[in-house]
Amino acid sequence: MLGFLDLLGTIGGNILSFPGILGLALGMMTRNWMLAAVMGAVVGIMKSLIFAGFHFSSVDMIDLGVAIVIGVLAASVGCAIRHKGATA
Amino acid sequence: MSDTNGGPKQGLLRRLWNGFWSPASAFSLGFILISGFLGGIIFWGGFNWSLELTNTEEFCVSCHTMETNLGEYRETIHYNNHSGVRAICSDCHVPHEWQHKVKAKIIAVKDVYHELVGTISTPEKYEEHRLAMAAQVWKKMKASDSRECRNCHSFEYMDFTIQETRAASEHQRAIDNKMTCIDCHQGIAHALPEGYLEQYRSVVEDLQASNGKATPHNADVAAIQTYVGGLPK
Repeated sequence: MLGFLDLLGTIGGNILSFPGILGLALGMMTRNWMLAAVMGAVVGIMKSLIFAGFHFSSVDMIDLGVAIVIGVLAASVGCAIRHKGATA
Repeated sequence: MSDTNGGPKQGLLRRLWNGFWSPASAFSLGFILISGFLGGIIFWGGFNWSLELTNTEEFCVSCHTMETNLGEYRETIHYNNHSGVRAICSDCHVPHEWQHKVKAKIIAVKDVYHELVGTISTPEKYEEHRLAMAAQVWKKMKASDSRECRNCHSFEYMDFTIQETRAASEHQRAIDNKMTCIDCHQGIAHALPEGYLEQYRSVVEDLQASNGKATPHNADVAAIQTYVGGLPK
């Protein structure tokens, strides 16, 4: 039960943090799906590194994985918004 | 059924969806940017304000099941002391950093569930679950290097000369052996359950096993320190 909530909390924390918000914003800056996904993944990696004080040994692998996935998804949503919402 | 343009009549949701994604020819780019910026501030401010409301002591103890914890906490130095500086529930149980705070708030959903189903609604039930509840908090604190304690307390700024001899000695030992606050202060705000030492040891071993780290050899560190201290200067 706590394990599931722990994962859910990690996902929620990432959606409302850099990977979710910055990932979405960066995704909205391009129509290129691949570029958006890469930028989202980079944001996820950077977020994990920044909050671990740039100590690779302090990076939690589950947190890193979730941050990358959320970053890629948010950037893809941002890219979709760009495709749908920009006329030029 | 057809609309005025001769096409099939669209439902409300479809029209709203299409309207949402249509270019806003009636508004300038500046208007949209400024209104979006203001809307963002209002939304984020309201969200953060609501989140902070759930950090207040009144909110935490508004549940019936928190009465036991509250009574115990009120007997401690974190509630009542000579300086009047207090640590309330959220200071110890909710991280300050945003991403950890959101995670803690989502995990706290389980507290609402257990309040509703009455898992710890009587003193007997509370005592039955006390060790397990304490172990969960110890695990979080040990894993985070007592992050919430360190929001206020720091080894770097402790003046050992004005601490009691035993406290100063133990804090020095904690620094030398890379220990963390919860290693010694398990019952700092709530009563300790029976068998807490064995349970805490089990929590530490589980964490070390999951992290793939070996148990720290404190005895070896102490032996090295003794050896180094005995070397001729």
